[in-house]
Amino acid sequence: MFVHIFAYRLKCLMRDWETILWTMVFPLVLGTFFYMAFSNLYTNEIFNPINIAVINDEQYAKNKSFREALEEVSTGDERLFNLSETTIDEANELLNENLIDGYIVVEMPIKLVVNNSGINQSIVKSFIDNYIHASSAVETILSIEPEQIQKIIDDIGNRETYVSEKKSTGGEPNTILLYFYTLIAMTCFYGGFFGMREINDIQADISSVAARVNAAPVHKIKAFLFSAAASVLIQLVEVLVLISYLVFMLKLDFGSKTGFVLLTAFIGTITGFSFGAFISAVVKKSEGIKVAVIVGVTMICCFFAGMMQHEIKYIISRKAPVLSYVNPLNLLTDSFYSLYYYDTFSRYFKNIILLTVFIAVFCSGTYLMIRRRKYASI
Amino acid sequence: MQVFKLCLNIIKKNLHIMLIYVIVFLAVSLIMSSSMTGTGKAGDISFTGKKVDVAFISEEESALIDGFKHELGKIANFVEIPDETEALQDALYFRKVSYIVRVPEGFSEGFMRSEDVRLEKTAVPNSVDNIYIDLCIDKYFNTARLYVRNLKDISQEALARYLESDLAPAASVEMITNGKENNDHTYANYFYNFLAYSLLSVIILGMSALIFVFNDRDLRMRNECSPVKSGSINMQFILANLLFTVSAWFVMVLLCFLLNFKNSLSMNTVYFLLSSFVFVFCCCGLSYFIGNLIKSKGAIGAVCNIVTLGFCFISGVFVPQEYLGSFVLKIAGFTPTYWYVKANNEIAKLTEFGFQNVKPILSDLLIIIGFGLAFFTAALVAVKNKRYA
Repeated sequence: MFVHIFAYRLKCLMRDWETILWTMVFPLVLGTFFYMAFSNLYTNEIFNPINIAVINDEQYAKNKSFREALEEVSTGDERLFNLSETTIDEANELLNENLIDGYIVVEMPIKLVVNNSGINQSIVKSFIDNYIHASSAVETILSIEPEQIQKIIDDIGNRETYVSEKKSTGGEPNTILLYFYTLIAMTCFYGGFFGMREINDIQADISSVAARVNAAPVHKIKAFLFSAAASVLIQLVEVLVLISYLVFMLKLDFGSKTGFVLLTAFIGTITGFSFGAFISAVVKKSEGIKVAVIVGVTMICCFFAGMMQHEIKYIISRKAPVLSYVNPLNLLTDSFYSLYYYDTFSRYFKNIILLTVFIAVFCSGTYLMIRRRKYASI
Repeated sequence: MQVFKLCLNIIKKNLHIMLIYVIVFLAVSLIMSSSMTGTGKAGDISFTGKKVDVAFISEEESALIDGFKHELGKIANFVEIPDETEALQDALYFRKVSYIVRVPEGFSEGFMRSEDVRLEKTAVPNSVDNIYIDLCIDKYFNTARLYVRNLKDISQEALARYLESDLAPAASVEMITNGKENNDHTYANYFYNFLAYSLLSVIILGMSALIFVFNDRDLRMRNECSPVKSGSINMQFILANLLFTVSAWFVMVLLCFLLNFKNSLSMNTVYFLLSSFVFVFCCCGLSYFIGNLIKSKGAIGAVCNIVTLGFCFISGVFVPQEYLGSFVLKIAGFTPTYWYVKANNEIAKLTEFGFQNVKPILSDLLIIIGFGLAFFTAALVAVKNKRYA
C-alpha cells in the first residue's frame, strides 16, 4: 500500500510544474542573483594598497627620514601604498581622475591633499601623523636627555608590532553568507506549498480528489502520511539541489560540518512542510488565501531573519531575543550560521531543539484538525 | 467605452497584489528618508577622518591604557558589547564592530619593563578597518617605547602626559572640492533607482493581467463579433493601458515629492522625472511582451518576480553599481534597468545643465527607448505568430 500511494503521489506532484518552479527554480535563480549582486561586497572590505603620489621637489629630496619612511611602507607584499613621485600638476591630474586617493606635499608641516574624506585618505593621514608624532617625541626626549641621540635613532628604526591576532576557530566573518542561509531557510518553508496541497487532497470538504481518497478503504492518517512522505522527499531533494548549487557552483562556505548541514536541511524541510500543512488545516478559506498566508508569513519571518538586511537579525537578537526564538526561519538561518561561524555546538543544538518543538506543534495541530472528519454528504 | 471600463475593472480586481509593491516601496522610502535625515550633509567641504566601530575590552586599569583609549577614541567609536565570546563574535559578524581589542592583564607593567607584550585583536581579516586601527595602536605604543627605552624610571602617568602632547599635532589636510555647489541628491537618487523595482513589478502585473484576459480565445472571438470596430477596441485598450501606467508612475513620483520636498525643487528633479518617464515607456514594452508570451495565470507572478528581481539585482537597484563586479555589469548592460540606474546616478551628480553635461544622460535615455521599441517589436511578432497559428 505504501509503495502504491507513495509512487503515484510522487508522479502526481512532479507534474505540478508551478509548485516545482516556485519551490526549486525560484530559489536557485534568486541564489544566482544574490551571488551576482553580493559577491563583491565582502572583497570590497579587504585592504588593497592605496594609490598615492608625493610631490618630488627639493623639500622632499632634502627630508631623508620622511622619504625613507614613505619608501619603507611602499615596498613589499604587505605595503600600505602604491607610491608614485610626480610634479604638482601631474598629481592634481591624477587626483581629478581619481587614479590616486591623495598626494603628499613635503613642507612644514607635511600636507596631504585629497578630494574626499574616505578611509583610504584617513590611513594616509594616519601615516603622516605617525611621522609627525615620532619626530615630536624625539624632540621631547632629546630636550630631557640630549645624550641619548644615537640610541633614539636606533630605536626609531626598529618598529614593533603591539597587536596579535586572536584567530577565531570558526569561519571568517563573511556577512554575505547570511543571505544565502536565509535563502535556504526560505526554500525549506516554501515546502509549505506541498504541505498545503497534502491537506487539500486529504480533507474531503476541500477537493474532489480528497473526497475520492476518503472513500477508499485506507486509513486516513496512513493515506496522509504515505503521500506526505512523497512531498517531503521532493522538497528535501530540492533543498539539497539548492545547497549543492551554492556549495559546488557558487563555492560558498558552509563550514566543515557537512553531516550537520544535511541534518539541518532535513529538519528544515520537515518544519516547512508541517508549517504548510498546519496553515492549510487551520485557515479554512480558499487556496489563494492559504498561499497568501504561507508566502506572507514566510516573507515576514525572512525579513526578521535578515534576508533583506542582515543587521535586522542582529538587532532582533539583541533587543528582542524572544522574537528570534519564535521565528522558525531565524532558527534555521541561525543553525547554518552557527555551524559555519562557531566551533562549538551549543547554539546549534539549541536551534535544532526549538525547531523540533515547532515541528511537534505544527504536526499535532494538524493532526487534531484533520482527524475523525466524516461526511454524510458533501 | 465598454472595453475601457472592462480594463479598469480588471485592474481594480488585481489592485491588491499591486498594492503590495506600492506599500513595500513606500516602506523602503520611509526607512530611507528617516535614516538619511541627520546625515543630510551638503557634500564634504573639509576633511573629516573616518571613525571605525571598535569594541574595547580592558582587563586592567592603568594610566597608560587610559591614555591609549583616549588616543584611539580619535579614530574609533567605542561600542559597548558584553564581554562574552558569542556576543563579541556576533557583533563582529554583523559589523556592529569591525575590530575587537582586548588589553590583557599585566600589559602596562610588562610594557614599562620593555617586555614583549601584546594586545589581542579580533577583526575582519585583511580589512581596511583592521589596517587603520593597527596603525594607530602601533603608533601609540612605538612612540611610548621611545620614552620607556630612553628615559629611565619614567612613570606611566608622565608617559601618558608626554604622549598626549606628542600626539596632538596632526598633518594638515587640504580638500579640493573644485568649488562646486554640491546639492545632496543621494536620497532622490536612491529613491528613483528603487522606483525601477516597484514600477516594473506593478506595470508587468497590471498589464499582463489585462493582456491575458484579452488574449483568451473565447473572449476574443466574442469581442470580434461584437458591433464595435476592432480599431475602437484597440484604441480603448491602449488608452486604458496608458492611463494605468501613467497613473502608476504618477503615484510613485508623487510619493518622492512628498517625502523629499525640500530637495525636489531643482533641475535635477526634472531630469529624474524625465528618466523615470522614459523608463515607464520601456516597462510598457516589456510588459506587453511578457503578457503576450505567457500562457497561464500562475505564470504571471513567477515571470514578473524573476524578471524584476533579476534585472534589479544585477543592474544596481538594490546594491549600488560600484559594488558590482565588472562581469555582472557587462551582463547588466543588456537590461534597460542598468541604463536607467546609470542615468540616475549621473543625474544625481549634475551641477551644470549645459548640453555637454547632460549628453551622457540623454544617450542613456535613448538606449532605454531603444529597449522599449525592441520589446514592442518582439511582442508584435509574438502576437502575429499567434494570430496565424
